[in-house]
Amino acid sequence: MSEEQKFELHVPSTLRSEKVAMDFAATVARTLQFPADRIEDLKTAVAEACMNAIEHGNKSDASTRVGIRLTAVANGLHIAVHDHGPGAGPVPVTVPTPDIESRIAGKVEGRGWGIFLIKNLMDEVSFESNEKGSVVKMMIYLDKPQ
Amino acid sequence: MSQTQEVSTRLKGDVSMIDIRGEVTAVSGAPMEQAYQGVSAAGARKILLVFSTDCYINSGGIAVLIGILAECKKKGQVVRMTGLTPHFQKVFAMVGLTRYAAIDASEDDAVARFSHIA
Repeated sequence: MSEEQKFELHVPSTLRSEKVAMDFAATVARTLQFPADRIEDLKTAVAEACMNAIEHGNKSDASTRVGIRLTAVANGLHIAVHDHGPGAGPVPVTVPTPDIESRIAGKVEGRGWGIFLIKNLMDEVSFESNEKGSVVKMMIYLDKPQ
Repeated sequence: MSQTQEVSTRLKGDVSMIDIRGEVTAVSGAPMEQAYQGVSAAGARKILLVFSTDCYINSGGIAVLIGILAECKKKGQVVRMTGLTPHFQKVFAMVGLTRYAAIDASEDDAVARFSHIA
């Protein structure tokens, strides 16, 4: 990957659009010759980021869209998933690790693993939010840093 | 929206197998929950979740699985899983699911491990 290449897709805020985004990201990563395990990491992270954007950012309003921008850089891929919904929440500066024991014990709801997965599968993650919406920025390297 | 998860159940000795194909998500999780309730009502003590390798599993589906495992724990049922790709084996370990349901390389391996349980 000698020069920066950009790829962009916009999907409606509807059920299963995240799968379209996921397949798009995987196709780009395959083209850039990412290893298979890293492509799987990318697919899960992109799907989770899109689901958050659809459900929490755009409140599943089918008239809105979620944008997925992929930028190929020298040693990896930068991903930005942005929504335009009025419901964009505050930036999650710190995301507590979900506690499976409490969930198994039925003390807290079982959901809430999306951001946890994104943070654990991607190499760098940041969140930005303003009155226009939110963006999740992720970086995945060709080879996972040790 | 058409059904995107196919779930079926069968018995192999005293192990209740739940075969899961397609999407494992919050939206499509109902068939999996129903299958679990079915085998549970039939008295299952050993349950094997058999995932097809092309399953799409997201965080909503993980939450559904956690709900099932929570109920299994309450009822004293033992659960194992097989058929997961290396990626989802990693994800399940990351989340902590494997502390409540071990992953086996194959259906036969899982059944063999179940045989050590009375």
